[in-house]
Amino acid sequence: MTNILVVADIKQGVLKGSTAELLSKAKELGAATAAVAVGSNVTDLAPQLAAAGSDTQYIADDPSLEIFSAAPFAAAVADAAKAFNADMVWFGFSETGKAAAPRVAVQLEAACATEIIDVAIDGDVVHITRPAIANKVLQKMKINAPKLVAVVRAGAFEADPEVTGTENVVTLDPPEKDMAAAVKELISDASGEIDLADADIVVSVGRGAKDQAGVDLVKDLADDLAAGFGSSRAMVDAGLMAHNKQVGQTGKIVAPSLYVAVGISGAIQHLAGMNGAKVILAVNKDPEAPIFNVADFGIVGNLFDVIPLLKEEIKKIRA
Amino acid sequence: MKILTTVKKVVDVELNIHVENGAIVEKGLQYVINAWDENAVEAAVQLKEAHKAETTLVSLGSTDNTDIIRKCYAMGIDNAIHIDDPALAEADSPTFARVLQKVYEAGDYDLVIAGKQAQDTDAGQAGIMLGEFLGIPCVSNVIEIKVTDDTHIQVSRLGDAGTEIVDVTLPAVVTVSDSINEPRLPAMRGIMMAKKKKITVMDLAGLGTSFEEIGGTAPASAVVEFMPVQKRKGGQKFEGDPAEITAQVVQLLVNEAKVL
Amino acid sequence: MSPLLMTVLLAVGLGFFARTMYQRILLLTSLEPADRFNRIKDRLKNLVIIAFGQKRLVGRKKERASGIMHAFIFWGFCILLIRSLTLYGHGYVEGFQLPLLGESSFLGYLYLALKDVTEAVVLIMVIYAFYRRLVVRPTRLHNTWEAYLVLALIGVLMVSDLLFDGARFMLITAHGNPADLHYFNNPTFGQEFFWTPVTVAAGHVISGFSAVGLERVMVLMFWVHVITQLIFLNILPFGKHFHVITSLPNVFFKSLDYPHEKIKLLDLEDESVWEDETLGVNHLHQLNWKQGLDLYTCTECGRCKEVCPTYVTDKPLNLHDFNDTLKAELYANADNLILRAKLAGNLTGDAEADAKTKEKMAVFKPEKALVGEVIALDTLWACTTCRACEQVCPVTIEQVPRIIAMRQGQTLMQGEYPEELNTAFKGLERNGNPWGIGYDKRADWAEGLDVKLMADDPNVEYLLWVGCAGSFDDRTQKVSKALVKILKAAGVDFAILGTEEKCTGDFARRAGNEMMYQMMATENIETLNNYKVKKIIAACPHCLNTLKHDYPQMGGHYEVIHHTDFINQLIADGKIRVKKSLGGALTYHDPCYLGRYNGIYDAPRSILAGMSNHGLSELPRHGTESFCCGAGGGRMWMEETIGTRINVERSREIVDEKAETVAVGCPFCLTMIEDGMKELDKDEQVKTRDIAELVAEHLA
Repeated sequence: MTNILVVADIKQGVLKGSTAELLSKAKELGAATAAVAVGSNVTDLAPQLAAAGSDTQYIADDPSLEIFSAAPFAAAVADAAKAFNADMVWFGFSETGKAAAPRVAVQLEAACATEIIDVAIDGDVVHITRPAIANKVLQKMKINAPKLVAVVRAGAFEADPEVTGTENVVTLDPPEKDMAAAVKELISDASGEIDLADADIVVSVGRGAKDQAGVDLVKDLADDLAAGFGSSRAMVDAGLMAHNKQVGQTGKIVAPSLYVAVGISGAIQHLAGMNGAKVILAVNKDPEAPIFNVADFGIVGNLFDVIPLLKEEIKKIRA
Repeated sequence: MKILTTVKKVVDVELNIHVENGAIVEKGLQYVINAWDENAVEAAVQLKEAHKAETTLVSLGSTDNTDIIRKCYAMGIDNAIHIDDPALAEADSPTFARVLQKVYEAGDYDLVIAGKQAQDTDAGQAGIMLGEFLGIPCVSNVIEIKVTDDTHIQVSRLGDAGTEIVDVTLPAVVTVSDSINEPRLPAMRGIMMAKKKKITVMDLAGLGTSFEEIGGTAPASAVVEFMPVQKRKGGQKFEGDPAEITAQVVQLLVNEAKVL
Repeated sequence: MSPLLMTVLLAVGLGFFARTMYQRILLLTSLEPADRFNRIKDRLKNLVIIAFGQKRLVGRKKERASGIMHAFIFWGFCILLIRSLTLYGHGYVEGFQLPLLGESSFLGYLYLALKDVTEAVVLIMVIYAFYRRLVVRPTRLHNTWEAYLVLALIGVLMVSDLLFDGARFMLITAHGNPADLHYFNNPTFGQEFFWTPVTVAAGHVISGFSAVGLERVMVLMFWVHVITQLIFLNILPFGKHFHVITSLPNVFFKSLDYPHEKIKLLDLEDESVWEDETLGVNHLHQLNWKQGLDLYTCTECGRCKEVCPTYVTDKPLNLHDFNDTLKAELYANADNLILRAKLAGNLTGDAEADAKTKEKMAVFKPEKALVGEVIALDTLWACTTCRACEQVCPVTIEQVPRIIAMRQGQTLMQGEYPEELNTAFKGLERNGNPWGIGYDKRADWAEGLDVKLMADDPNVEYLLWVGCAGSFDDRTQKVSKALVKILKAAGVDFAILGTEEKCTGDFARRAGNEMMYQMMATENIETLNNYKVKKIIAACPHCLNTLKHDYPQMGGHYEVIHHTDFINQLIADGKIRVKKSLGGALTYHDPCYLGRYNGIYDAPRSILAGMSNHGLSELPRHGTESFCCGAGGGRMWMEETIGTRINVERSREIVDEKAETVAVGCPFCLTMIEDGMKELDKDEQVKTRDIAELVAEHLA
């Protein structure tokens, strides 16, 4: 029986969806599951962690853990892993995971794999699959070490709502503070806006919208869909959209379930930022626009006509 | 202050990568300096310019890296070491970290600046593991480095909740994000002068170690095969009466794609 | 009149003038050398047509009136120069006559008549000039006191000579010639004054004077004329009227053939150029003497400003200010430059011995940095290298090579250039195109079109050079496909280099990055020579220009033809036929690098005329005075942050012409103008098309 410890992905006190996804996969592989929550005021998350599919919940709760610091976080996870005798430790795709996983791997003398999209256990042979070379190829790796610490790519696993676990809380001693890399301050970027990287649906606006009126029209659609609102480079250059809204090779890379590209031609640089989306819908008046080469659904038409119609249709189905 | 910065030569990710029989097709590929390492070199040179630091570059690989090392010289690096050993072609992240550990221990460095990940593996582990092996503080995904005094720096890190300001005691390892700076295009003069500068080349034996000692012969994980990624193809394109086709598409999104 | 006074005046006047000229020439010799002494016959031809013929003034439709005005003043000067000699002689010997133009020859009388009419004409032109400056006030003119002073002096010269002769006329004909003045009175040709009606009229103006009064007027006007002339001569070298003396040599020494002298191939391997900072123009002394002469000759007429796309859109590139500023800087540092040049003469080539000399030379450096302080960076980088300024300059000043040389200094020596070029340079280095897209995708546009690769069949007749835009830019790929369609229809035997093609390096060269340019050129020339390529069809005028005119410097000699030229030939040879089915108002935008750089104006028009059933209308600024789209000189890859947008300005002109289709022959123009239309929201009404696309659509 494989023991898989899932590290809870917590943002601003909220348990993110990736935790349930990872736990579902662990259960699917027939593993014994546990979750570890590291932070401040995280004890209350234990029931949720159980409901998500963990049979043991390790809690490292301390005010000193409020702002992320890699060394103590990794130490706490390593403690949980040792207590659980974990064969695998899985992190959700986050900066936390990317920073902590290699440390935990060294401390547990485990192999480390980042951005994995699949895990296969065949007897005592473990293989993982992950993308490489800027997502242009996939590589299959054999894990030789007895243990594995992995960071799982966003959306790689699906959460199974049927999966559930048992509440069994184990409190861990808080780890030592890292005096050599002491976190002084956190400048929060919580702006109330939906984070493009987290959003399930992203609506992006491009040059076809022409001006502020057009941008507002598309933003309306994004709001109706409770979607993240992004932009092509052209609109950022035109000063109509903020820099941090740019989706593309030099901007944000997003992988939502649905990406709606409005008035975007589909230059290679933009595609690099969104072709990881599950489904792409494109609206453009030029039937030859390259975006139609990657869009699953394409509407050829003037966005000023189509967007209001889209809004209406969405209102209908939501009703 | 003495800074060690690392570079890796990686395949140019602008090119199409073809996979045949489980392996990458080498023909037509060209190799360039890892983009994040360029940021690391730029960060080191900026610190040199502002604080009169001494910068050393270590390049790891199994090929001739003279061209990328010369470019780094042209950017302003003071010294360069190239660890050239055929065994490194099979190295994984922890092994690279061990080699860096040996290089670090052979010198007297206050700060190691590395790119946060390499464009060929996208692993992002070696820098952080180096910190663990050396038992010195390590901060990853750094977007700003400020020198406080001889033994402290203050860095800004891009975390999940926002930007973290961290006080770091030297010696330390820092891995940098591409948001930290815009690497300079080396001045022509620098490029010409760089041709004259010496590169210290050695293999693992010259470094005083062996592939076995650093764990290369018993890697924690190994690539078994490469597979192509499914290329995205265009789907259905609808032209005609806007109201009709919009309604059609929305129905498809709900019922077929199940994303609405 | 008075030999003593005449001698004193001549000695002083001509003496001062000689001294000033000596200093001016000495300053020129302290600058870098230039070989402009070849092909004397061709140079003389230019002198006759452009300088004496005043081609760019009289031959230009715009402002022809003022062009004619100046032409007459100039020709007047030439004619009256001879008169001056006669007058000087008259100062010594009364009734002095020049050989061949004396009383006994018909020429003499003819000259008198000519002089007479000329003086009147010049006077009228001077009055017209005053009127233009005071009343019409064209914006391109600087209305300085110098301008008015010179006009006034010229007026005085004309009036004084006319009154001098007028007084003579009155004394001789109305008062019985009491002083026994000499005048032409040949039995065959008659009395002098029958040939000089204007003088007669002038005489009548002062007819009220007594004989004594007339004599006084005559003597006064004589000395006024001589002194004014000597004053005039001496103030010339100090202002914009130096052009009176320097414009003829400036035209004589202008570049021959290709629009201007080819950019010098810099030896980047030579270490001393990096130490001595001799790459490009970083300092004043690195200009060559011809460029110095250019600065002397700028007449501040402002025609360059009027046609410059950057000036018209409010960017800080004002060419005659540029010239003026450099000239002022040159004069301000004249002594230092001359001293420095003298020391430079002592250099032996031996590093040790020269070290001391170089140290001394360094003392004579100008205080202000040439680029940055004397010339602003924004000024230098605003230029699109379109050559409109060079096209209209009446005295053939060569602005563009100077700008590129200064850019070389900036890019190579200082490492200073607009940041946005970084991406483009990096892309060039890694993947041979300014977008940095993987080189392995360069031939993707040709997929499924059955286009031969040189690698498969190097024995084709033509190489089709696609260019970066044609290979990678979505919009331009359509042009490449259209061109392939045409070539196949015509049965042309051609191939493309595919992934072996790299950027020609044009924009890198215009941005001063010789290193990048030489890298691209070396690689391309090696590939082309390996395949023994002889004939190239280029779809982009920038590629055309570089392949044809720049590559020979580095061993690449090919016959390069632009696709419009080639298509025109195909039609003429009957290899393809086009239907006259292109409807709607049609106009053509001349690309700068096709027109002004390579003289191709007719071929595109011929093709369009054959296709259009509506006729081709010309834009106000067309042909040699076509208005740039704004992308040349590397500006395609830079942000346009100052003033209004050049491409929108041009698009507006096209919209105002009520065109429904605007044809172009360059991928940059295609992009810029189409973008301009989008910004004006006219992209539905005005279609921007490359000629190849139009031909492919209307093939019979």
